[in-house]
Amino acid sequence: MKSSNRELVDRLAAEYALGTLRGRARRHFERWLVSPQVGSMVKAWEERLAGLEPAPERVAPPATAWRGIEKRLDLRAREHTRAARWLAVAASLLFLAFVGVFTLRGGDPAPTRLAAVQETGGTIYWQIEMLGDDEAVKVLARSPHALERGKAHELWVLPAPGSKGNPVSLGLLPESGEIRRQLSAAQRAALAGATQLAVSLEPSGGSPTGLPTGPVLHVASLESA
Amino acid sequence: MDRTESLPPEIELAQLLQRCAARDAGAFRALYDKTSPILFARLLRMLRRRSVAEEALQEVYVRIWERAVQYEAHRGRALAWMVTIARYCAIDLMRRERMTLVGDDVLAEVADETGGEPTGFDKPNNFDHCIGLLPDNTRKCLTLAFVEGRSHDEIARLTTSPLGSVKSWIRRGLLSLRQCLSGERQTA
Repeated sequence: MKSSNRELVDRLAAEYALGTLRGRARRHFERWLVSPQVGSMVKAWEERLAGLEPAPERVAPPATAWRGIEKRLDLRAREHTRAARWLAVAASLLFLAFVGVFTLRGGDPAPTRLAAVQETGGTIYWQIEMLGDDEAVKVLARSPHALERGKAHELWVLPAPGSKGNPVSLGLLPESGEIRRQLSAAQRAALAGATQLAVSLEPSGGSPTGLPTGPVLHVASLESA
Repeated sequence: MDRTESLPPEIELAQLLQRCAARDAGAFRALYDKTSPILFARLLRMLRRRSVAEEALQEVYVRIWERAVQYEAHRGRALAWMVTIARYCAIDLMRRERMTLVGDDVLAEVADETGGEPTGFDKPNNFDHCIGLLPDNTRKCLTLAFVEGRSHDEIARLTTSPLGSVKSWIRRGLLSLRQCLSGERQTA
Protein backbone atom coordinates (compact mmCIF):
# COMPACT_ATOMS: atom_id res chain seq x y z
CA MET A 1 0.00 0.00 0.00
CA LYS A 2 1.37 3.45 -0.88
CA SER A 3 1.78 5.66 2.16
CA SER A 4 -0.85 8.18 0.97
CA ASN A 5 -3.33 5.30 0.49
CA ARG A 6 -2.32 3.86 3.81
CA GLU A 7 -3.19 7.18 5.52
CA LEU A 8 -6.57 7.28 3.79
CA VAL A 9 -7.41 3.67 4.65
CA ASP A 10 -6.30 4.25 8.22
CA ARG A 11 -8.61 7.26 8.45
CA LEU A 12 -11.51 5.14 7.20
CA ALA A 13 -10.53 2.36 9.62
CA ALA A 14 -10.60 4.89 12.46
CA GLU A 15 -14.06 6.19 11.58
CA TYR A 16 -15.28 2.62 11.02
CA ALA A 17 -14.15 1.64 14.52
CA LEU A 18 -15.50 4.85 16.04
CA GLY A 19 -18.85 4.25 14.32
CA THR A 20 -19.09 7.49 12.34
CA LEU A 21 -18.50 5.78 8.99
CA ARG A 22 -22.11 5.13 8.00
CA GLY A 23 -24.41 3.99 5.26
CA ARG A 24 -22.97 3.00 1.91
CA ALA A 25 -19.43 4.02 2.90
CA ARG A 26 -19.56 1.62 5.84
CA ARG A 27 -20.84 -1.23 3.68
CA HIS A 28 -18.12 -0.61 1.08
CA PHE A 29 -15.43 -0.51 3.71
CA GLU A 30 -16.64 -3.81 5.20
CA ARG A 31 -15.76 -5.51 1.91
CA TRP A 32 -12.13 -4.45 2.38
CA LEU A 33 -11.98 -6.16 5.75
CA VAL A 34 -11.00 -9.47 4.12
CA SER A 35 -7.60 -7.89 3.51
CA PRO A 36 -5.40 -8.73 6.52
CA GLN A 37 -3.73 -5.31 6.23
CA VAL A 38 -7.03 -3.43 6.49
CA GLY A 39 -8.23 -5.88 9.15
CA SER A 40 -5.22 -5.16 11.32
CA MET A 41 -5.67 -1.38 10.95
CA VAL A 42 -9.26 -1.72 12.19
CA LYS A 43 -8.14 -3.97 15.04
CA ALA A 44 -5.52 -1.40 16.08
CA TRP A 45 -8.21 1.30 16.17
CA GLU A 46 -10.56 -0.92 18.15
CA GLU A 47 -7.82 -1.34 20.73
CA ARG A 48 -7.02 2.40 20.85
CA LEU A 49 -10.66 3.46 21.17
CA ALA A 50 -11.46 0.83 23.81
CA GLY A 51 -10.36 3.49 26.27
CA LEU A 52 -13.63 5.33 25.54
CA GLU A 53 -15.68 2.33 26.61
CA PRO A 54 -17.83 3.25 29.62
CA ALA A 55 -17.81 1.09 32.75
CA PRO A 56 -20.04 -1.93 32.02
CA GLU A 57 -23.60 -1.86 33.32
CA ARG A 58 -26.02 -4.76 33.56
CA VAL A 59 -29.61 -5.05 32.42
CA ALA A 60 -31.11 -8.56 32.35
CA PRO A 61 -32.43 -9.30 28.86
CA PRO A 62 -35.90 -10.88 28.52
CA ALA A 63 -35.99 -14.71 28.37
CA THR A 64 -37.39 -14.50 24.84
CA ALA A 65 -33.96 -13.30 23.64
CA TRP A 66 -32.24 -16.62 24.41
CA ARG A 67 -35.10 -18.61 22.90
CA GLY A 68 -34.75 -16.58 19.71
CA ILE A 69 -31.01 -17.24 19.54
CA GLU A 70 -31.50 -20.96 20.14
CA LYS A 71 -34.09 -21.12 17.41
CA ARG A 72 -31.93 -19.27 14.91
CA LEU A 73 -28.87 -21.40 15.55
CA ASP A 74 -30.84 -24.65 15.54
CA LEU A 75 -32.22 -23.69 12.16
CA ARG A 76 -28.70 -23.25 10.87
CA ALA A 77 -27.63 -26.57 12.38
CA ARG A 78 -30.54 -28.31 10.67
CA GLU A 79 -29.68 -26.79 7.32
CA HIS A 80 -26.13 -27.90 7.77
CA THR A 81 -27.10 -31.44 8.70
CA ARG A 82 -29.36 -31.65 5.69
CA ALA A 83 -26.54 -30.60 3.35
CA ALA A 84 -24.12 -33.01 5.04
CA ARG A 85 -26.61 -35.87 4.78
CA TRP A 86 -27.13 -35.12 1.11
CA LEU A 87 -23.38 -35.12 0.57
CA ALA A 88 -23.05 -38.37 2.49
CA VAL A 89 -25.74 -40.00 0.32
CA ALA A 90 -24.09 -38.68 -2.84
CA ALA A 91 -20.70 -39.88 -1.64
CA SER A 92 -21.92 -43.37 -0.80
CA LEU A 93 -23.67 -43.64 -4.17
CA LEU A 94 -20.42 -42.61 -5.83
CA PHE A 95 -18.63 -45.14 -3.71
CA LEU A 96 -21.04 -47.91 -4.73
CA ALA A 97 -20.75 -46.94 -8.39
CA PHE A 98 -16.98 -46.84 -8.43
CA VAL A 99 -16.05 -49.37 -5.80
CA GLY A 100 -15.30 -51.96 -8.50
CA VAL A 101 -13.07 -49.54 -10.39
CA PHE A 102 -11.22 -48.57 -7.22
CA THR A 103 -10.73 -52.21 -6.30
CA LEU A 104 -9.42 -53.07 -9.75
CA ARG A 105 -7.08 -50.09 -9.83
CA GLY A 106 -6.13 -50.52 -6.19
CA GLY A 107 -6.78 -46.75 -6.11
CA ASP A 108 -8.11 -44.39 -3.47
CA PRO A 109 -9.55 -45.81 -0.29
CA ALA A 110 -13.16 -44.85 0.36
CA PRO A 111 -13.92 -41.51 1.98
CA THR A 112 -14.52 -41.90 5.69
CA ARG A 113 -15.36 -38.30 6.53
CA LEU A 114 -16.75 -35.41 4.51
CA ALA A 115 -16.98 -31.70 4.89
CA ALA A 116 -18.64 -29.08 2.72
CA VAL A 117 -17.20 -25.56 2.81
CA GLN A 118 -20.19 -23.39 2.08
CA GLU A 119 -22.18 -20.27 2.79
CA THR A 120 -24.71 -21.02 5.51
CA GLY A 121 -27.29 -23.11 3.70
CA GLY A 122 -26.01 -21.87 0.33
CA THR A 123 -23.31 -22.28 -2.29
CA ILE A 124 -20.85 -25.11 -1.67
CA TYR A 125 -17.35 -23.87 -2.56
CA TRP A 126 -15.28 -26.93 -1.75
CA GLN A 127 -16.17 -30.51 -1.03
CA ILE A 128 -13.57 -32.19 1.16
CA GLU A 129 -13.14 -35.92 1.70
CA MET A 130 -10.85 -37.61 4.16
CA LEU A 131 -9.80 -40.89 2.62
CA GLY A 132 -9.25 -44.18 4.44
CA ASP A 133 -7.74 -43.72 7.87
CA ASP A 134 -7.06 -40.02 7.16
CA GLU A 135 -4.17 -41.10 4.91
CA ALA A 136 -5.13 -38.60 2.23
CA VAL A 137 -7.40 -35.66 1.62
CA LYS A 138 -9.31 -35.08 -1.59
CA VAL A 139 -10.62 -31.62 -2.40
CA LEU A 140 -13.08 -30.79 -5.13
CA ALA A 141 -13.58 -27.11 -6.01
CA ARG A 142 -17.31 -26.92 -6.76
CA SER A 143 -17.94 -23.21 -7.30
CA PRO A 144 -15.36 -20.44 -7.60
CA HIS A 145 -14.74 -18.41 -4.47
CA ALA A 146 -13.82 -14.70 -4.77
CA LEU A 147 -10.05 -14.23 -4.39
CA GLU A 148 -7.89 -11.13 -4.81
CA ARG A 149 -4.58 -11.30 -6.65
CA GLY A 150 -1.64 -12.46 -4.60
CA LYS A 151 -3.89 -14.35 -2.17
CA ALA A 152 -4.75 -17.98 -1.60
CA HIS A 153 -7.22 -20.03 0.41
CA GLU A 154 -5.67 -22.34 2.98
CA LEU A 155 -7.35 -25.31 4.66
CA TRP A 156 -6.89 -25.96 8.39
CA VAL A 157 -7.84 -28.63 10.91
CA LEU A 158 -9.16 -26.96 14.05
CA PRO A 159 -8.06 -28.49 17.37
CA ALA A 160 -10.36 -31.22 18.69
CA PRO A 161 -13.01 -29.96 21.14
CA GLY A 162 -11.53 -29.58 24.60
CA SER A 163 -7.92 -29.79 23.39
CA LYS A 164 -5.59 -26.82 23.52
CA GLY A 165 -3.55 -27.21 20.31
CA ASN A 166 -3.25 -24.90 17.30
CA PRO A 167 -4.87 -25.28 13.90
CA VAL A 168 -2.79 -27.46 11.56
CA SER A 169 -2.56 -26.67 7.84
CA LEU A 170 -3.81 -29.17 5.27
CA GLY A 171 -2.35 -27.04 2.48
CA LEU A 172 -3.73 -24.59 -0.07
CA LEU A 173 -7.11 -25.16 -1.66
CA PRO A 174 -7.47 -25.46 -5.44
CA GLU A 175 -9.53 -22.67 -7.03
CA SER A 176 -10.84 -25.13 -9.62
CA GLY A 177 -10.70 -28.85 -10.34
CA GLU A 178 -9.75 -31.54 -7.89
CA ILE A 179 -6.65 -32.42 -5.90
CA ARG A 180 -5.61 -35.39 -3.80
CA ARG A 181 -2.92 -34.95 -1.19
CA GLN A 182 -1.21 -37.57 0.97
CA LEU A 183 -1.22 -36.51 4.64
CA SER A 184 1.75 -36.47 7.01
CA ALA A 185 1.76 -38.12 10.43
CA ALA A 186 1.41 -34.66 12.06
CA GLN A 187 -1.64 -33.85 9.93
CA ARG A 188 -3.18 -37.26 10.72
CA ALA A 189 -2.59 -36.69 14.43
CA ALA A 190 -4.32 -33.30 14.21
CA LEU A 191 -7.28 -34.90 12.43
CA ALA A 192 -7.77 -37.58 15.07
CA GLY A 193 -10.69 -36.38 17.18
CA ALA A 194 -11.02 -33.14 15.19
CA THR A 195 -14.54 -32.20 14.16
CA GLN A 196 -13.98 -29.02 12.20
CA LEU A 197 -12.04 -27.63 9.28
CA ALA A 198 -11.52 -23.95 8.54
CA VAL A 199 -10.54 -21.91 5.50
CA SER A 200 -8.46 -18.77 5.89
CA LEU A 201 -7.28 -16.10 3.46
CA GLU A 202 -3.46 -16.11 3.14
CA PRO A 203 -0.67 -14.75 0.94
CA SER A 204 -0.37 -16.70 -2.32
CA GLY A 205 2.30 -19.10 -1.00
CA GLY A 206 0.26 -19.95 2.08
CA SER A 207 0.58 -18.76 5.67
CA PRO A 208 4.19 -17.68 6.35
CA THR A 209 3.91 -18.55 10.05
CA GLY A 210 2.35 -22.00 9.99
CA LEU A 211 -0.77 -20.59 11.67
CA PRO A 212 -3.69 -18.78 10.05
CA THR A 213 -2.69 -15.13 9.55
CA GLY A 214 -5.61 -13.84 7.48
CA PRO A 215 -9.30 -13.82 8.37
CA VAL A 216 -11.06 -17.17 8.77
CA LEU A 217 -13.63 -17.19 5.99
CA HIS A 218 -15.40 -20.46 6.65
CA VAL A 219 -15.69 -23.24 9.19
CA ALA A 220 -17.03 -26.63 8.14
CA SER A 221 -17.92 -29.69 10.22
CA LEU A 222 -16.44 -33.08 9.42
CA GLU A 223 -19.25 -35.61 9.10
CA SER A 224 -18.94 -39.38 8.88
CA ALA A 225 -19.47 -40.65 5.35
CA MET B 1 -28.88 -0.95 36.56
CA ASP B 2 -26.48 -2.86 38.72
CA ARG B 3 -22.95 -1.49 38.58
CA THR B 4 -21.55 -3.24 41.62
CA GLU B 5 -21.19 -6.83 40.43
CA SER B 6 -17.63 -7.59 39.34
CA LEU B 7 -16.87 -8.48 35.74
CA PRO B 8 -16.56 -12.11 34.68
CA PRO B 9 -12.82 -13.05 34.61
CA GLU B 10 -11.28 -12.62 31.15
CA ILE B 11 -9.60 -16.01 31.24
CA GLU B 12 -12.93 -17.73 31.82
CA LEU B 13 -14.59 -15.84 28.95
CA ALA B 14 -11.65 -16.63 26.66
CA GLN B 15 -11.96 -20.34 27.45
CA LEU B 16 -15.71 -20.29 26.84
CA LEU B 17 -15.14 -18.58 23.48
CA GLN B 18 -12.62 -21.24 22.49
CA ARG B 19 -15.13 -23.93 23.37
CA CYS B 20 -17.74 -22.07 21.29
CA ALA B 21 -15.29 -22.20 18.38
CA ALA B 22 -15.36 -25.98 18.81
CA ARG B 23 -19.18 -25.84 18.68
CA ASP B 24 -19.81 -26.55 22.36
CA ALA B 25 -23.41 -25.41 22.91
CA GLY B 26 -23.12 -25.70 26.70
CA ALA B 27 -20.21 -23.28 26.71
CA PHE B 28 -22.24 -20.92 24.53
CA ARG B 29 -25.09 -20.92 27.04
CA ALA B 30 -22.65 -20.28 29.92
CA LEU B 31 -21.10 -17.41 27.96
CA TYR B 32 -24.57 -15.96 27.32
CA ASP B 33 -25.49 -16.14 31.00
CA LYS B 34 -22.31 -14.36 32.04
CA THR B 35 -22.25 -11.65 29.41
CA SER B 36 -25.76 -10.98 28.06
CA PRO B 37 -26.76 -8.47 30.79
CA ILE B 38 -23.61 -6.45 30.01
CA LEU B 39 -24.17 -6.53 26.24
CA PHE B 40 -27.90 -5.84 26.61
CA ALA B 41 -27.18 -2.75 28.71
CA ARG B 42 -24.62 -1.62 26.12
CA LEU B 43 -27.11 -2.12 23.25
CA LEU B 44 -29.85 -0.27 25.14
CA ARG B 45 -27.50 2.64 25.55
CA MET B 46 -27.14 2.91 21.78
CA LEU B 47 -30.55 1.75 20.56
CA ARG B 48 -32.77 3.00 23.44
CA ARG B 49 -35.83 0.91 22.49
CA ARG B 50 -35.99 -2.43 24.32
CA SER B 51 -37.56 -4.28 21.40
CA VAL B 52 -34.80 -3.16 19.03
CA ALA B 53 -32.10 -3.88 21.61
CA GLU B 54 -33.51 -7.39 22.10
CA GLU B 55 -33.42 -8.03 18.37
CA ALA B 56 -29.85 -6.72 18.30
CA LEU B 57 -28.88 -8.96 21.21
CA GLN B 58 -30.01 -12.04 19.30
CA GLU B 59 -28.02 -10.99 16.26
CA VAL B 60 -24.97 -10.28 18.46
CA TYR B 61 -24.94 -13.81 19.93
CA VAL B 62 -25.52 -15.42 16.55
CA ARG B 63 -22.45 -13.47 15.33
CA ILE B 64 -20.44 -14.45 18.45
CA TRP B 65 -21.24 -18.13 17.85
CA GLU B 66 -20.37 -17.88 14.17
CA ARG B 67 -17.18 -15.88 14.69
CA ALA B 68 -15.89 -17.53 17.86
CA VAL B 69 -13.29 -19.25 15.71
CA GLN B 70 -11.88 -15.84 14.76
CA TYR B 71 -11.39 -14.80 18.39
CA GLU B 72 -7.67 -14.72 19.10
CA ALA B 73 -7.30 -16.00 22.64
CA HIS B 74 -3.66 -14.93 22.92
CA ARG B 75 -4.74 -11.30 22.57
CA GLY B 76 -7.09 -11.61 25.54
CA ARG B 77 -9.76 -8.90 25.51
CA ALA B 78 -12.64 -11.39 25.36
CA LEU B 79 -15.25 -8.97 26.73
CA ALA B 80 -13.93 -6.10 24.58
CA TRP B 81 -14.17 -8.40 21.53
CA MET B 82 -17.83 -9.12 22.30
CA VAL B 83 -18.64 -5.47 23.05
CA THR B 84 -17.17 -4.50 19.67
CA ILE B 85 -19.46 -7.01 17.94
CA ALA B 86 -22.39 -5.50 19.87
CA ARG B 87 -21.46 -1.92 18.91
CA TYR B 88 -21.13 -2.76 15.22
CA CYS B 89 -24.37 -4.68 15.30
CA ALA B 90 -26.20 -1.71 16.88
CA ILE B 91 -24.83 0.57 14.15
CA ASP B 92 -26.06 -1.88 11.50
CA LEU B 93 -29.51 -1.89 13.05
CA MET B 94 -29.62 1.91 13.23
CA ARG B 95 -28.90 1.93 9.51
CA ARG B 96 -31.71 -0.48 8.81
CA GLU B 97 -34.23 1.25 11.04
CA ARG B 98 -33.11 4.67 9.75
CA MET B 99 -33.05 5.56 13.35
CA THR B 100 -33.50 8.92 14.71
CA LEU B 101 -35.25 7.37 17.61
CA VAL B 102 -35.09 10.14 20.07
CA GLY B 103 -35.91 13.79 20.09
CA ASP B 104 -33.34 16.48 20.67
CA ASP B 105 -34.31 16.96 24.30
CA VAL B 106 -33.46 13.34 25.09
CA LEU B 107 -30.24 13.61 23.11
CA ALA B 108 -29.28 16.70 25.09
CA GLU B 109 -29.79 14.75 28.30
CA VAL B 110 -27.56 11.97 26.99
CA ALA B 111 -24.91 14.52 26.10
CA ASP B 112 -24.87 15.74 29.69
CA GLU B 113 -24.55 12.21 31.01
CA THR B 114 -21.59 11.44 28.82
CA GLY B 115 -19.75 14.66 29.47
CA GLY B 116 -17.66 12.93 32.15
CA GLU B 117 -14.42 11.03 31.80
CA PRO B 118 -14.61 7.70 30.03
CA THR B 119 -14.01 4.76 32.32
CA GLY B 120 -12.83 2.13 29.85
CA PHE B 121 -12.29 -1.39 31.22
CA ASP B 122 -9.70 -2.17 28.59
CA LYS B 123 -7.76 1.06 28.24
CA PRO B 124 -4.54 1.23 26.29
CA ASN B 125 -1.54 2.51 28.29
CA ASN B 126 -1.40 6.25 28.42
CA PHE B 127 -5.01 6.60 27.22
CA ASP B 128 -6.07 9.00 29.97
CA HIS B 129 -3.12 11.25 29.28
CA CYS B 130 -3.73 11.26 25.51
CA ILE B 131 -7.49 11.83 25.67
CA GLY B 132 -6.85 14.60 28.17
CA LEU B 133 -4.74 16.45 25.61
CA LEU B 134 -7.72 16.82 23.25
CA PRO B 135 -9.93 19.91 23.36
CA ASP B 136 -13.19 19.41 25.30
CA ASN B 137 -15.45 19.61 22.24
CA THR B 138 -13.38 16.99 20.39
CA ARG B 139 -13.48 14.65 23.36
CA LYS B 140 -17.24 15.09 23.59
CA CYS B 141 -17.69 14.30 19.89
CA LEU B 142 -15.62 11.12 20.14
CA THR B 143 -17.52 9.97 23.22
CA LEU B 144 -20.93 10.60 21.65
CA ALA B 145 -19.91 8.64 18.57
CA PHE B 146 -18.29 5.73 20.38
CA VAL B 147 -20.54 5.34 23.41
CA GLU B 148 -23.93 6.36 22.02
CA GLY B 149 -23.37 5.45 18.39
CA ARG B 150 -24.27 8.97 17.24
CA SER B 151 -23.68 10.00 13.63
CA HIS B 152 -21.88 13.16 12.50
CA ASP B 153 -25.28 14.86 11.95
CA GLU B 154 -26.63 13.95 15.35
CA ILE B 155 -23.46 15.13 17.06
CA ALA B 156 -23.64 18.43 15.21
CA ARG B 157 -27.22 18.91 16.39
CA LEU B 158 -26.43 17.87 19.94
CA THR B 159 -23.47 20.11 20.36
CA THR B 160 -25.05 22.89 18.25
CA SER B 161 -21.93 22.99 16.12
CA PRO B 162 -21.59 23.17 12.32
CA LEU B 163 -21.39 19.73 10.70
CA GLY B 164 -18.09 20.60 9.02
CA SER B 165 -16.51 21.47 12.35
CA VAL B 166 -17.71 18.22 13.94
CA LYS B 167 -16.20 16.20 11.09
CA SER B 168 -12.86 17.94 11.30
CA TRP B 169 -12.70 17.81 15.12
CA ILE B 170 -13.28 14.07 14.94
CA ARG B 171 -10.72 13.58 12.17
CA ARG B 172 -8.06 15.60 13.95
CA GLY B 173 -8.93 14.09 17.32
CA LEU B 174 -8.43 10.55 16.00
CA LEU B 175 -5.11 11.50 14.43
CA SER B 176 -3.84 13.15 17.63
CA LEU B 177 -4.97 10.18 19.67
CA ARG B 178 -3.09 7.77 17.40
CA GLN B 179 0.06 9.88 17.48
CA CYS B 180 -0.02 10.31 21.23
CA LEU B 181 -0.75 6.63 21.99
CA SER B 182 2.04 5.45 19.71
CA GLY B 183 4.46 8.07 21.01
CA GLU B 184 4.68 9.71 17.54
CA ARG B 185 5.55 13.39 17.50
CA GLN B 186 2.49 15.66 17.61
CA THR B 187 1.97 17.46 14.34
CA ALA B 188 -1.23 19.29 15.17
